Amino acid sequence: MIEWSEGGTAQAAMPYPYYIDIVTKRYFDGVDNKAMSQVLDCFTEDAILTEVTSNTVHNGKAAIGAMFTKLFTDFSSIWHGNFVHTADPESNAVCSQFTVLITPNGGGELRYENCNRFYLKGDKFHRVYVYMSGDNLLKEGDA
Amino acid sequence: MQYAPTLNRAELIELATKSYFANVDAKNMEATLDCFHDEALFCVQTAFTRHAGKAEIRRMFADFFGSWESIVHKDFVCTVDEKNGRITASFEAVLTAADGSVTRFFNTNFWRIRDGKFQEVYVYFSGANVLV
Repeated sequence: MIEWSEGGTAQAAMPYPYYIDIVTKRYFDGVDNKAMSQVLDCFTEDAILTEVTSNTVHNGKAAIGAMFTKLFTDFSSIWHGNFVHTADPESNAVCSQFTVLITPNGGGELRYENCNRFYLKGDKFHRVYVYMSGDNLLKEGDA
Repeated sequence: MQYAPTLNRAELIELATKSYFANVDAKNMEATLDCFHDEALFCVQTAFTRHAGKAEIRRMFADFFGSWESIVHKDFVCTVDEKNGRITASFEAVLTAADGSVTRFFNTNFWRIRDGKFQEVYVYFSGANVLV
């Protein structure tokens, strides 16, 4: 049995639309609407989400959930759009570029031009890498 | 599709990693620029920096090649959207200065291909932008 690796080609491919839909219609729709269970349902239990530009690592679904709890609490509105995807069923991966409009509580709207790399294991995100065009907003959850 | 796809999976990977990055690492200016259309866009998204057209891209690479004693891009993980003429790669960039000091990045590039060449390139840096 071949061990799982990021972008490894020995994986079962999902249909092409699956990759676009899990990113936009499930994951970012859940983030924008602060729907925690919808967001976390996209991840494997031992998923790791890394914010590369600050080297912040959220290891496991519980840590990812704590990070989103803080994000949802600290920001009054969140919007992701203007997507362009590189979807690759052969390597069970999708990379997405997008704009983020996000407003901190009591502050003004911020604009980011970010990208994410999503590597799936089966039909869920197993490794996610986030690059931000400004300060990291995906901070460690409060204890 | 954004641009009509003309390259297959292997050709897209060859263009990004060999025709482009191998020539960047060798500081082969003309071969590097051959990968771009004349009116190509080169954007460093993490720094809101844009180089529009081959002349600006040439100037950027001239400064980049002159700033580092050696340039190495390696450990590519490619994601390929053959039907849409797009490829993304994560990689490590190892830049060595004349005094021997080493700067490392773990970056991601997105390329949009038109007629076999780069029409748009988007770079996301893990640290401070060096493509200025």
